Amino acid sequence: MNYEKKLIRNERSNEQYYCIEHPTGLKIVVWEMANYSTCHALFGTKYGSINTMFKTNKDKDYVKVPEGIAHYLEHKLFENEDCDVFSLYAKTGASANAYTSFDKTCYLFSCTDNFDDSLRILLDFVQKPYFTKETVEKEQGIIGQEIRMYDDNAGWRVFFNMLAGLYHNHPVKIDIAGTVESIAKIDSDLLYKCYNTFYNLKNMVLSIAGNVKVDDVLKICDEMLKPCENLELKTVFEDEPETVVEKEVTQNLQVATPLFNIGFKSKPESGIDLIKAEVETNIVLSLLCDESSNLYKEMYEDGLINSEFATEVFNGDGYFCSIFEGESKNPKEVFSRINDEIERVKVEGFDEERFELIKKSYYGSQIRGYNNVEAVATSMINAYMSGVTPFDVIETAANVTLKDVYNRLFKQFNKENTTISIVNPIE
Amino acid sequence: MALKYSHEEIGEGINFTSLVDSRFKTNYITINLITDLNKEKAALNAATAIFLSKGNNKYKTISELNKKLASLYGANLAGDVFKLGDSQGISLSASCIVDRYTFNNEKITEELTKVLTGCLLEPNVENGSFNEKAFNLCRQELIDDIDAEINDKRTYAVIQACKEVFKGEPAALTSHGDKESAEKLNAKDAYEQYKKVISEYQIEIFFAGGGNGNEVKAVIKEAFSKINRNYVGKSTSHKSSVKSEVSEKEINLDVVQSKMVMAFKTNDENKHAVILMNAIFGTTPFSKLFANVREKLSLCYYCSSMYDERKGVLLVDSGVEKENIGKAKAEILNQVKQMQEGNFTDEEIKNAGLSLVNMIKTVNDSAYSLANWYMKQRYIDKNNTPEEEIEKLKNVTREDIIAAAKSLKLDTVFVLTDKGGEN
Repeated sequence: MNYEKKLIRNERSNEQYYCIEHPTGLKIVVWEMANYSTCHALFGTKYGSINTMFKTNKDKDYVKVPEGIAHYLEHKLFENEDCDVFSLYAKTGASANAYTSFDKTCYLFSCTDNFDDSLRILLDFVQKPYFTKETVEKEQGIIGQEIRMYDDNAGWRVFFNMLAGLYHNHPVKIDIAGTVESIAKIDSDLLYKCYNTFYNLKNMVLSIAGNVKVDDVLKICDEMLKPCENLELKTVFEDEPETVVEKEVTQNLQVATPLFNIGFKSKPESGIDLIKAEVETNIVLSLLCDESSNLYKEMYEDGLINSEFATEVFNGDGYFCSIFEGESKNPKEVFSRINDEIERVKVEGFDEERFELIKKSYYGSQIRGYNNVEAVATSMINAYMSGVTPFDVIETAANVTLKDVYNRLFKQFNKENTTISIVNPIE
Repeated sequence: MALKYSHEEIGEGINFTSLVDSRFKTNYITINLITDLNKEKAALNAATAIFLSKGNNKYKTISELNKKLASLYGANLAGDVFKLGDSQGISLSASCIVDRYTFNNEKITEELTKVLTGCLLEPNVENGSFNEKAFNLCRQELIDDIDAEINDKRTYAVIQACKEVFKGEPAALTSHGDKESAEKLNAKDAYEQYKKVISEYQIEIFFAGGGNGNEVKAVIKEAFSKINRNYVGKSTSHKSSVKSEVSEKEINLDVVQSKMVMAFKTNDENKHAVILMNAIFGTTPFSKLFANVREKLSLCYYCSSMYDERKGVLLVDSGVEKENIGKAKAEILNQVKQMQEGNFTDEEIKNAGLSLVNMIKTVNDSAYSLANWYMKQRYIDKNNTPEEEIEKLKNVTREDIIAAAKSLKLDTVFVLTDKGGEN
């Protein structure tokens, strides 16, 4: 087949990979890592738990499907007509898995030998759905147990309770696996409908890193990939106000110390603006309260936080929030101190010396990421699904200024649009 | 470029192992101090591990230390404890990017090694005691860690089951020790115990990464040359003996999903046979347990097994609906029986072997896992490479596997379930 093999280089880190637009519409990215033993491959679709409303040129109106269906579909694709996919990988020795997140579903394997056969299995089963009434029903029990396992998981609950507090309409607030009630509505027709909509190669990315040659990958792709028609896929979400639903959400569970998640809701971004927002917000979070900050030191020395304390930028299609999480005997005091620090910095500005140190650390963490086959493959698929490249983060971080970061503080941290979620011990 | 391995005893009971491979972009240095797991000392050692990682005599507060680490391109430094069979290890580890990736070819690895040895050998001490305020925070953090075990019910169930499985043995403890002991700790006792740790314990130091192991070794040797040693010898583990009667234990918590942990014990000395048998039985997604308990009968979301070769114990842990506990137990026992009767195909042996080979070869791809691999080898006085272990697995026969399965004796059935009556 005739197509271009584009080499993407980054001078700053001296790293490179290949990017190919396959004639079938699939985006293929390959990062050759010489001398490594393993190879990690991910085949993913831009389809996650939030994509419950969509339309193609075959639909008259927007279609709404039950919550949890993307995850259900992931489970079911692992079964072929005649066998279980795991039993195919068993013959190659590859370690295989899959996951569904808010905005993507990925099928992956990692192997040290028999790469070609494992890649054939991956490309084959993801393109070959097979569901019947019986096989779909059988999965209700397993996924039901998975959902119930998460009901007992305090870390999971405190996070989703926060999302429910932050978001009025956006489906990010719903558990990825759905609920026992919502999955009861899933049948094979609905699964085929979602499969045919989202598992279109034009909506998918294949990302491979490690001990592999790009030409070997492409040879197998040419042999295995099936042409896809353009469906003009559109996904939408209900309008989401800037405000939050609840400022505070609490639940009691079997835990020892209260767990908390504090979320600052802000405007969603996309593409390179999203990368800029993500990098700058991460630097703001480090400046505010990483382990070298005064706020961390004070809260730690006052016994308000322990080493579980962490921050995270959480974003995707239609949502963006900054999260502070941890365990504390007094989560509200932690929240109040964070708010005070944000207001103080808004007036006094950030410390320039620490800003430079944090930028340096950010660069270091990107270099570390290039060390690991799995991290490299994952960062490539994440980047391409968001419409950027994996080097955009290291470049954005290198060019960020103190002024950018200061402005970001005002954009992303409005204390009116916050939710604190607390899981308290059962008395 | 292939991995360069070198090893040197740099002091009495102090070993330095270097694992250098230029493809790595990071350097990882880990210092492990190993002793017998012991109720009196476990919590003390655990709090000390936290304390040593939070500062030292030069960088006294958490923010001073972390500013220093940030200046080394976001280096990490962490202190923890771990459990190997009947032994407890204190580990103090650090990692950073390889010097050649810094903007001006700065010598950050050597500098980081100095910070690390400073944390271990020149702690924040005042008047013959650890800094009291700082230590008390670490004690609280340890108590929080012990309390937080309950947050993840799967791990919690395994920890509670092990108390029963290893009743009367050191392995019944966790690496963090128990809460009662943790609450009684003080900075002065901790400092006294710390001096013993440095003087008496087996010390295993690893450098793994893409940088220069000799530079690191020089800093380490210099730092350790200043300490007085009174080495008491290596810590070892003993195989756990099977109870005369199967112990059935249930504890109640407010949970939605029940957990069941079943422990089987073996005295089979052919550890590679047990490892391969365990892979066929319950570690992979095409194992007997996954294929039957989960896929065929839809009883569990997870049901898998793990083998601790040091204790000769195979644990099966599962998350199951309360009313299905009996069914799941019967099916797990049935699958053990299938293994004992040799009801598995040559293909299942081959596939389980491939999966293990894949897993073991992957060790070569990270500095951290290489250091971890050789740490476990040093613990059993071996030096086998991943490739050598693979060869040993390849020599296991069908008869060896059946013998390994037949050696399994049910020891404990542990259930964590809700308080109420019927679900």
